Amino acid sequence: MAVVEIPIGPQHPALHEPIMLRVRAEGEEVVEVTVNTGYNHRGIEKLMEKNSWVRGMYLAGRVCGICNAVHTQVYVQGVEKLMGVEPPPRANYIRTIVMELERIHSHMLISAVMAEIVGFDTLFMLIMRDRDRVMYLKELVTGNRVHADIHILGGVKRDIDEVRRDKMLSELRVIEERLKYYRKVFEEDYTLLRRLTEVGRIRKSEALSHCLVGPTLRGSGVKSDVRLDDPYAAYPEIPFDVVVREEGDSWARMVVRLEEALASVGIVRYALEHLPQGPAVPKAFPRAARVGEVISRVEAPRGELIYHIVSTGGGNPYRVKIRTPSFLHIINTEFTYLGHRLADVPVIFASYDPCISCTERVLVVDEKRGVRRYVSLRELARWGTT
Amino acid sequence: MGVSVIRYSPWIMHFNAGACNGCDIELLAALTPLFDPERLGVRLAPNPRHADIIVVTGALNKKAAERLRRLYEQTPSPKYVIACGACAISGGVFTDSYPLISRADRVVPVDVYIPGCPPRPEAILYGIKKLLDRVARGG
Amino acid sequence: MAELSIGGYSFREVGPRRYVASVDPGRLREIVELIVGEESYLSTISAVDLPKENAIELNYVFWSIRHRAALVVKTRVSREKPVVPTIVDIVPGALGGELEAHDLFGVIFEGNTRLRRGFLVPEDLVSKGIYPMRKDAGV
Repeated sequence: MAVVEIPIGPQHPALHEPIMLRVRAEGEEVVEVTVNTGYNHRGIEKLMEKNSWVRGMYLAGRVCGICNAVHTQVYVQGVEKLMGVEPPPRANYIRTIVMELERIHSHMLISAVMAEIVGFDTLFMLIMRDRDRVMYLKELVTGNRVHADIHILGGVKRDIDEVRRDKMLSELRVIEERLKYYRKVFEEDYTLLRRLTEVGRIRKSEALSHCLVGPTLRGSGVKSDVRLDDPYAAYPEIPFDVVVREEGDSWARMVVRLEEALASVGIVRYALEHLPQGPAVPKAFPRAARVGEVISRVEAPRGELIYHIVSTGGGNPYRVKIRTPSFLHIINTEFTYLGHRLADVPVIFASYDPCISCTERVLVVDEKRGVRRYVSLRELARWGTT
Repeated sequence: MGVSVIRYSPWIMHFNAGACNGCDIELLAALTPLFDPERLGVRLAPNPRHADIIVVTGALNKKAAERLRRLYEQTPSPKYVIACGACAISGGVFTDSYPLISRADRVVPVDVYIPGCPPRPEAILYGIKKLLDRVARGG
Repeated sequence: MAELSIGGYSFREVGPRRYVASVDPGRLREIVELIVGEESYLSTISAVDLPKENAIELNYVFWSIRHRAALVVKTRVSREKPVVPTIVDIVPGALGGELEAHDLFGVIFEGNTRLRRGFLVPEDLVSKGIYPMRKDAGV
């Protein structure tokens, strides 16, 4: 019986912590999975108590590089409620545009990573090449490729002019074509279908009782999306479809994401074409919040992101609780690996979109022979252990 | 002889020591066709024993720092370390938070610092190039 | 509506799609069973340290798909003896939240056999018995 330890380095925002997955297998079949955490804990909630409301924006944004705009959004919209501040409509639209651009790039990233894991390197490279178009759009709007930092209490920092808007609309057409192609690949490619379908199937009741969210929940047949159920920013005014699939397996989760990315292109296009008149950048903003507390929720690319913010008046928050979607997905999904083969473990793991980076490595310990080997996640995904 | 091998074909090992993933995705982007790192001979090493350069991202979470130290020791010489991003250089916005060591150079010797939050892929490749030039000069 | 009733428990509206009910720890399991009996999921467990009131407040935030609202169950424990029954057998997805609140605040979820220090907090603070998110933790 080989004991396989999977250290997964970079952890996602979502994840407070990079984790180590410890997998026990009998032959090729997984019998137990436990999760070890703590590698990415940065003490952000404590830092927020020590810093001002404004600095909290930058801390929130750096919980996750991939979905930083949603983190800033959920923080800012909560704080704005505590401060009694309402951002102008144009600012809401710009915030929505940036958040949806992030959704597109994030979904493309995990699609690329999944392709890489099953050995489809060419697809990985192609998706990454096209994803860079989205990064370019982000840079056009916010000035940065990754950290948008576009929010300010009461609005946004930069406006979108005609030139930028036209450039974005034309680039979106190309991105849409590429996304349609990638969706087709995931729907038709033999290797992807073989590796992803029926792998890591989660029933609807299990998804709810284990508190899974986002594409994982929607891939198991539950129509739950914060943008629809608990709308914020400009979503109340923008028509869009929530993507739901019934299969509940890794394939369904990946397809949900690609369809969502296409829906996001539609949202950005609509927002750009219907940008409200008026200012987007506020002239001044308050520094202190009233006494109170707020539960703020948004739909991050990975799922529901929720902040609980408590204020006792004054210039710093009293408490900020951050619960990222990947926190739930990494810790509550141990049951989904059981009965599968070792080579399925990276596939199932990636289907939750926990933001694996390129340095994961697997430690294979053969207890019987007393041998330890480092195997890359890629190798494990392709050949298992021999 | 070992030095010129690195100069022409440096293999990188990426280690996330508690990062927000911003630097990680820009590093990943730097390895894709648009930025073409292979013209520098740069590719990802499959494991530490094949690595020439360790690229560290993140603010050095204490648990991750132990792993980094061990990984550094497993990597055979000649080896170099690049601290990529504000967090690896100084802790970034998280400096001195309770679970962090904050600076990569408190854990391993660092050869090149690439500032940015995160640095652009071009900046990352530029930092790698600077290291290679220094190695070529014998530094 | 200004009030929402589930079983015998009354939730008062505090904002659009936000309802709150306060219970004693002894009633926690009962109200949780009622909430998850309808279509809903536990979104998070948020602990708040209130040293001035010698209490730690626990906020169990559920999202109810049926009622299209967030239902917050508030309960309080004392700082000296922060014990509350676990709900991990009713809601398996509560595992992460309970592990976190235990490691950061010292809350004991009676019946949860997987509670341990060091889930998030680094070893040097754990060995000193420090719960970093408490207001008097000194970190």
